[in-house]
Amino acid sequence: MGARRYVVKKVTHALATVLFILSFNFLLFRIMPGDPVGILVRSDRLTPAQVDELRTDLGLNLPLPRQYLHYVGQTVTGSLGESLRNSRPVSTMIFERLGPTALLVGLGTIFASLFGVLIGIKGGWNRGSRFDTSSQLGSLVLYAVPEGWLGMLLLLFFSGVLGWFPAGGFETGGLTGMSRVVDVLDHLFLPLLTLTLGYVGQYSIVMRSSMIDTTHEEYVMSARAKGVPERMVRRNHVVPNAFLPTFTLIFLSFGFVLGGAVVIETIFSWPGLGLLTYDSIGSLDYPVIQGVFLLGSLAVIVANLFADMTYGYLDPRIRET
Amino acid sequence: MRGNTPMLRTAVLIVTVAALAMPGSARGASPETAPVRLRVGTTVDLDSDNPFAASAGNDWSVATTQYDMLLKFANEDLTPAPSLGTGCESSSDYMTWTCTLREGVKWSDGEPLTAADVAFSYRFVIDHKIPQYKSYFPFDPVFETPNDTTLIWKAKEPTFAPSMPPWVYIVPEHIWADDVGKELKEIRAVPNTPAVVSGPFMMTSWTHGQGWSFERNPNYWGEQPHIDGVDYRLYSNQEAMIQALKNGEIDIADGLEPGLIASLGDSSNITIQKVVSDWWLNLAFNFGGQPGSDYEPLPALHDLDVRKAIMMAIDKQAIVDKVYQGTATTGDTIIRPASAYWHLDIPADEEYPFDPVAANKLLDDGGYLDTDDDGIREDPANGLPLHLVMPASSDTTGAVGAGELIVGFLAKIGISVDLKPATDGKMNDYWGAGSFDAYIWYWSGDPDPNYQLFVFTSEQCGAWEDGCWKNEKFDALYEEQHSIMDPAERLAVVQEAQRIAYFDIPGIALAYPGWLEAYRNDRFEGWIGAPGENGYILPTYNYDSLISVRPVTGSAGSSGKSSSLPGWIWIVAVVAVGGGVFLITRRGRRKEMDEA
Repeated sequence: MGARRYVVKKVTHALATVLFILSFNFLLFRIMPGDPVGILVRSDRLTPAQVDELRTDLGLNLPLPRQYLHYVGQTVTGSLGESLRNSRPVSTMIFERLGPTALLVGLGTIFASLFGVLIGIKGGWNRGSRFDTSSQLGSLVLYAVPEGWLGMLLLLFFSGVLGWFPAGGFETGGLTGMSRVVDVLDHLFLPLLTLTLGYVGQYSIVMRSSMIDTTHEEYVMSARAKGVPERMVRRNHVVPNAFLPTFTLIFLSFGFVLGGAVVIETIFSWPGLGLLTYDSIGSLDYPVIQGVFLLGSLAVIVANLFADMTYGYLDPRIRET
Repeated sequence: MRGNTPMLRTAVLIVTVAALAMPGSARGASPETAPVRLRVGTTVDLDSDNPFAASAGNDWSVATTQYDMLLKFANEDLTPAPSLGTGCESSSDYMTWTCTLREGVKWSDGEPLTAADVAFSYRFVIDHKIPQYKSYFPFDPVFETPNDTTLIWKAKEPTFAPSMPPWVYIVPEHIWADDVGKELKEIRAVPNTPAVVSGPFMMTSWTHGQGWSFERNPNYWGEQPHIDGVDYRLYSNQEAMIQALKNGEIDIADGLEPGLIASLGDSSNITIQKVVSDWWLNLAFNFGGQPGSDYEPLPALHDLDVRKAIMMAIDKQAIVDKVYQGTATTGDTIIRPASAYWHLDIPADEEYPFDPVAANKLLDDGGYLDTDDDGIREDPANGLPLHLVMPASSDTTGAVGAGELIVGFLAKIGISVDLKPATDGKMNDYWGAGSFDAYIWYWSGDPDPNYQLFVFTSEQCGAWEDGCWKNEKFDALYEEQHSIMDPAERLAVVQEAQRIAYFDIPGIALAYPGWLEAYRNDRFEGWIGAPGENGYILPTYNYDSLISVRPVTGSAGSSGKSSSLPGWIWIVAVVAVGGGVFLITRRGRRKEMDEA
């Protein structure tokens, strides 16, 4: 009973959030300064009459509420519209970018969370040890360093000074088979390193403090009092409980995977969703920005919902409340 | 946890072995027989591969690389030169032009290219009102093709349009005939890769967001290029593109920011081509009167002495040096030097000098005094302070930087400026509403001066003449040059129009910024600039440079590998990752066992 109510509540919340996002998404980009057609005008030498025609064509001179209804209707039927810039279907443009983004941000999140969690467990368990102080310092520094700056440094050093890695892009082109795989890996290395370093700090910090909190729980004390070996205390009593907050964080991050890593992708010319976002904001390409934001938001909502569900499974206390 | 240890070791081992094996297989590929490819770095994405949808920078370069015009722009001065057509002769009344085409020209798919294709391309533009090209066909022309190599262009009034030449790409009728009658929107959406072309290269692949590639056209009618293909790689930032040039991933970088030249350091193997650019940075004044606008620009701007004082207070050389790091020349007239034949260089002794003292005196004499002692002069006619609202385009290289300098220059003559940096989108809002006193943006145009003069005519108020400057003499000269068929006679009129615009100051041509291309001189040589030595060496006005460019003797051109990444880096990385996990878990365990 409790479980069903819990699921229904969470799903309803998620749906309400989707609806809110849909509206917010629409409004946000229309209060941005500038006019997408204006940008086309200068380069295309259109007359004012043609500009008007173009605006009608793109549905930009309809009143906002009608534009909104059109947008919602279109989105619900699965169409994200066409790019204002090059008339390509937004869904195709997003689909092209999914692979590179999933590869970079997906792997980056896996590496960062794996290392972060392991470091956090070890540091939190041996609080005050040399490992703990140095890893905590390292985590804080990495957490504080802007990823764009870190990426630029890595780019300048490994690509510019040493010339070991390509300065950007996804692949050299014209390669097939194993050569292509290696070539993509070459291109992937620096952005992946940046992303991993940029995110490892937050996981280790959350995991560490969660470990410390949990070690003071009464059930841990009683386990110790029963004479359970430390190793078992950690494995069976502390880590599973301490992992819960980090678990949510990791899932949320996977949600963000679909939003792409805007800064890192831009620095390394990585043709993912983040770079698509950056480019389309620059050219005020409403349909594309809306599409990418919608997808990113949906991914976060779904990931969050999934985390909530699994959370309920992992921690029965939550289902009960 | 204990049970994981052997598994972990095995995993590390497997990944390490795989990493060791992979670089061997990939890097073992021999580049010796590889074709010679030129790799171009750019930061500007391609929007369309369709010549009828071309709008931004690289759309044009793709079209120029693939297609021919009837006549091309000459490398030296961008005047008309033979291309598909060997020349056009006019009748004595300039209403009928007869153009002769080369014989035996073929499209890349082997079909013959004839005068019918030229007539088709022109009709296609006119019938579908393709905005970029339609202005090249004044006076309702009709086209006749009595045979495969003759095109007759008949206009209802005298015109020099056929010899301008029209910047219209000739497309194959047998490919585009299917699109006749479609809406403009549909035409613009027609995919065009791979294309059937007449130029030396054809685009064969385009990976959105990453780059595009050209292969040689086997049926190209002219001199064969020395390279087999061209690859454009897209970088999302300038720094990355410069690193790519330095470490040899690309052979030439297109469109460098002036401020980043220093980061190329003293690399002796990189040459920077400072192109006499085809755009100019313009400070325009607003004279008001835009249809629908209720903004009242500063009335004092109608006083030529005020405009003169502003002109004389601005140190153009400082803009060139500080904003463009010396990669520009100071501006004077509204036809930029890239149109070498038409540009009027105002003699130094006639130019408005940079002279803030004289500028101050001019304002003093005109009665513009600082009556309330706030450092800003007031207009004697209405008491309004000389204050300018001045948007500057943040999307135009150097516009905001120049604006910041100008704020300082004008402060010295008692004029205050509210500089408003704005994206091009926002600039369009200002321009549309006429809500500015001055603005800084850019202008560009064709090699032929007709269009550039046209945008400054009175009737363009509310359309192209953003500041609504009106000068009857200028308008008359524009009309006059429009009907003069002899280039030398026309030149005199065009230059007189430039002179009027310079001395009446509808705006100030602040600078002619350069366009920067940087190439690896140890890889390719034989570049040709257009216009002239200091012109573009990548396809802009024509593709000649791609025909003449060749690998430096003894260099493999670009067939080599892209980066000199040692394979062991991957091994080290994999071992570091695996080892890190292993150590963290293992050391913890050892300690626990001790504790236990």
